[in-house]
Amino acid sequence: MFLDALSAPWETLAFCLLLLLAPVVAAPRSHRPPVWHAVALAGTLVGTLFVADPALAFLAASLSAGIHALSAWPSTRTGAVALLVSALLTVGVAAAVGADQISAAFLLSTVAVAMRAGAMPFHAGIVSLCDRAPRVQTQQLASTIALVFIHLRFVDHHDEAVALAPMIVRFGAGAAFAAALMSTVQRDLRGFFRSTTAVHGGMVIAALGAASLHNYAAALLVTVSAGLGLGGLGIMIAALEERVGIVTYSRANGRGEAFPRLAAAFALFGAASVAMPGTAGFVADDLLLHTLWMESPVGTVVVILASAMLAVSTLICYSHVFLGRPTALLAPDLIPRERVVAVALAALLLVLGFAPGLLLYPADAFLETVPTIAASPRPAGP
Amino acid sequence: MPDLLHLMLALAIIAPLLAVPAIGVRVLLADRFPGEDVAYRLSAAGLLLSTLASVVVFGFFAGAFGEPVRGEIEFGRWLQIHDYEIPLVLLVDRVSVTISLFAVLLTVVVARFSRTYLHKEPGFVRFFVLLAFFATGTQLVALAGALELFFAGWEVLGISSAMFIGFFHERDEPVRSSVRAFGTYRFADAGLLIATVVTFELLGSARFSALGRAGTLPAAESTLIALLFLLSAMGKSAQLPFSGWLPRAMEGPTPSSALFYGAVSIHAGLFLLLRVWPVLEVSPVARAAGVVVGLATAVYAALVVRVHTDAKGALAHATLAQVGLIVVEICLGWITLALVHLVCHALLRLGQYLRAPSLIHDSHRFGHAHHRPSLLERAAPRLAVRAYAASLHRLRLDDRIDQAFSPALTVARAIDRIDRRLRSALSLDGPS
Repeated sequence: MFLDALSAPWETLAFCLLLLLAPVVAAPRSHRPPVWHAVALAGTLVGTLFVADPALAFLAASLSAGIHALSAWPSTRTGAVALLVSALLTVGVAAAVGADQISAAFLLSTVAVAMRAGAMPFHAGIVSLCDRAPRVQTQQLASTIALVFIHLRFVDHHDEAVALAPMIVRFGAGAAFAAALMSTVQRDLRGFFRSTTAVHGGMVIAALGAASLHNYAAALLVTVSAGLGLGGLGIMIAALEERVGIVTYSRANGRGEAFPRLAAAFALFGAASVAMPGTAGFVADDLLLHTLWMESPVGTVVVILASAMLAVSTLICYSHVFLGRPTALLAPDLIPRERVVAVALAALLLVLGFAPGLLLYPADAFLETVPTIAASPRPAGP
Repeated sequence: MPDLLHLMLALAIIAPLLAVPAIGVRVLLADRFPGEDVAYRLSAAGLLLSTLASVVVFGFFAGAFGEPVRGEIEFGRWLQIHDYEIPLVLLVDRVSVTISLFAVLLTVVVARFSRTYLHKEPGFVRFFVLLAFFATGTQLVALAGALELFFAGWEVLGISSAMFIGFFHERDEPVRSSVRAFGTYRFADAGLLIATVVTFELLGSARFSALGRAGTLPAAESTLIALLFLLSAMGKSAQLPFSGWLPRAMEGPTPSSALFYGAVSIHAGLFLLLRVWPVLEVSPVARAAGVVVGLATAVYAALVVRVHTDAKGALAHATLAQVGLIVVEICLGWITLALVHLVCHALLRLGQYLRAPSLIHDSHRFGHAHHRPSLLERAAPRLAVRAYAASLHRLRLDDRIDQAFSPALTVARAIDRIDRRLRSALSLDGPS
């Protein structure tokens, strides 16, 4: 079987590398980060995903956050500091795991993920990245996926995780709902990207909460699909702002005529991030809702409403940014290197949408294995 | 032969969509957009293939290839993890094959009509891409054997509908109407999604065949599920209080209005009610609610249609009145009548919508229809005047919905304000 040959760390590494390299390929030569940067990040991702020792894996994750902080510093100090705090929290997780304090490790890791995913109210740093350094944001989404992976692998197999699950689910659902409400009153493209990121951050936290009931693979799929969708949106937004500057909703601006491919790619990534059927987001949302229901039916309904609001906000954003009377713009549409990135990310979203088992089954087999470090591990899942 | 059935069922759903990657990849990677001919031929080929497949599936159902085929046709699983699964299961029964064949035939007719009608229109290619999406969504809705698949098709219908409404996006009004319709859809779709999750959790499966066990549930739970399905159907079929988006939807091109709001999409809510009939059957509360909603919508639409001054708007409300009556029929349990009514009504409206652009020409040729006083006008002229005055504003439905949502928007603005202040306080950056 082809699926048997896949292993969760390798697959996750592939998704992370794609997100890591996508902004490098799409960026103009003058804006490209140095080669050592991508190589170092790739190295930390390999360390995070493949090292069997949990303390070392979390240390590798903190190193990647540090490297992202370095890249973000020239554009946004708020974002860089938030990434550094997240790196420190991850170091704390490594220390707690080393000292067999799994409950502390679980909580610290959850907060670190919340900061990296941009869940409210831990979102200040990440929304600064969305505003001022969308490419760094896309890259840090890659290492957020890796962080979630080791959270699920090492610190979620624990009785305390089960006990805290309903609270975390409600917190995540509430955070997603508040961010979705905010998304409905945004008046510019950056505001939309900020709030979309925060909605997905809330959903990732809710998924982490529900993961402890043997829903590890579902949580990973939710994170990967959010990462790919938001990563694509971030790259398209960066591409658009390079052409026309900061975009507000003051009126419908009709940019779809001038940038048809950019508009199509934006629509596709926007649709993926609001769970359009056929994309990974649809399956991820469906799975998320079923896993959330086990912990909190109210939380499930709240997430459904949040998703509905985000969908409406996405259409509002698209209509203001791309629809309307055509505007004469001299800037070119997506250039080949940007198109390649858009097609690669879109293809992955569609492949995972139609065949989610490619990621789910290997991840389920891998993450269900109870790690040996847990003080009071639960028996393996069904 | 079963393999042929599987192939045909799959083709009926997927074939229309084949045009989308063919056009989409060209748009993203090539330097030129496909021309009208290429876009039309790709779409038409997909639609014809789907039609052929639907005919063969109908043949299987009718017993043309041996024993008549009825029931669930398994294609495996979209995903399965622990005790949760999304089955790839399609349903071959009287309702599904009728609606599948009927919808694809109407789509083919509208596609052919549109080729001429939209010739040299700037959005020609976009129209046919959306039509392909729509056709796939319709087939999925018609043939789905489980709620998850049904929901996927339902969402595709909603998105393509919103895109068609905003088709002439150079003007502000179609874009605004598109957002409003999409917002209504998504709000009502939340009901279907919650119902899907609840059905799975309570019945152990979201297959339509599992709904037969709804009678074993406590009354409160079956009523909750039935009401959620009803809510979703009300949104898609523009029943009160969600009727406001329908006249706005007439901003789209006439062929899409005919297909969506005359023939197929407006009846999707009714199809949902027919599909989940086992749940409705055991819930008298939901059925009573459906009868009230359907009757209220029929009366409202019948009043509005008498004061509407544009052809498509009047047709929209005439459609709505009949759809309201079909909702009543379904909720009263007259399933066969409802299905016949649905099919005949869709055919009539499709023709009327497609003729609507020629209405001025027709009125010159055949003369105006004379106004005949209605029963209400004769029996209670004052009441009639008041009713018509209220109908002129469509009972201010949109305003009332806006008012209902305004507290949520106030909260949203407050959260946004607090969030900005907090972020500003925490920020280490200068102004961007």
